[in-house]
Amino acid sequence: MFLINCPFCGEREQSEFKAGGEAHIVRPKQPTELSDDQWAEYLFMRKNIKGIQFERWNHIHGCRKWFNMVRDTSNDEIKAVYKMGEKPPVK
Amino acid sequence: MLNYSNVIENDKSYPGLQMREIKPVMKLIIRGKKRQFLSAVGKSLNLLLPNEANTSSRSDQLTALWLSPDEWMIFSNEILKSDDNNYDVEKLLNKNICKTNLGAVTDVTDQFVLINLKGDKIFDLFETGSPFNFNDFKSKKGLVTQTILTKIDIIVHNQDINDVNLFVRRSFSDHLFSWMNDSASRL
Repeated sequence: MFLINCPFCGEREQSEFKAGGEAHIVRPKQPTELSDDQWAEYLFMRKNIKGIQFERWNHIHGCRKWFNMVRDTSNDEIKAVYKMGEKPPVK
Repeated sequence: MLNYSNVIENDKSYPGLQMREIKPVMKLIIRGKKRQFLSAVGKSLNLLLPNEANTSSRSDQLTALWLSPDEWMIFSNEILKSDDNNYDVEKLLNKNICKTNLGAVTDVTDQFVLINLKGDKIFDLFETGSPFNFNDFKSKKGLVTQTILTKIDIIVHNQDINDVNLFVRRSFSDHLFSWMNDSASRL
């Protein structure tokens, strides 16, 4: 259990949130030109690293807004939280 | 009111805590992002929507609760007639907001149940089943939060010191009220 600082509501407990998977995956501009393997790569394949990961989260039991988070998956330390459409503040 | 029956039949009272359902109360959800939306609502209702997160604003007849950056709940301060489901406020907002494509208005009068809690044990009760930190919340009049209580989504409005409005979806209200009574009996 950890606290998450929702960019809209402020600090809340993790149980109010839902994880939405990896962030910053860009949809291919011409999906029809992709092979099945490339499309499957875009659609299904996700990183699952030990370390710093960029993720999408939803404050599902609060303001119901999506936002991005940079989290260290090895110790659940949240490095940054930022709104959708904004650039990641850390690399 | 579409649903005439009270979900919660009896008012309940415990040392330092009284709980009762308040009905019929008009409840609307309004959504919009544009600046013109905010000014149109302000002019229509003579009520400024709260811009700051987790706050509310109040006029003589209405209260507006901040739910998210583009979503507010408006409810009537007074109890209304139960034989009618038409509200002048909703008609006015439909005319000034929906028909001008500034935002959306949804009548949630029958979707949400309003439970009023009074007494100095309100937050002791909430703390038995909610992950939200009520320490700062309880001392500031007018604050609003959406959180979970015994895994049920609720909206809490700190109307006054030791006077709290709790909104819960109708289908969960019976179970929530039963849980609150059980928990209150053990405080």
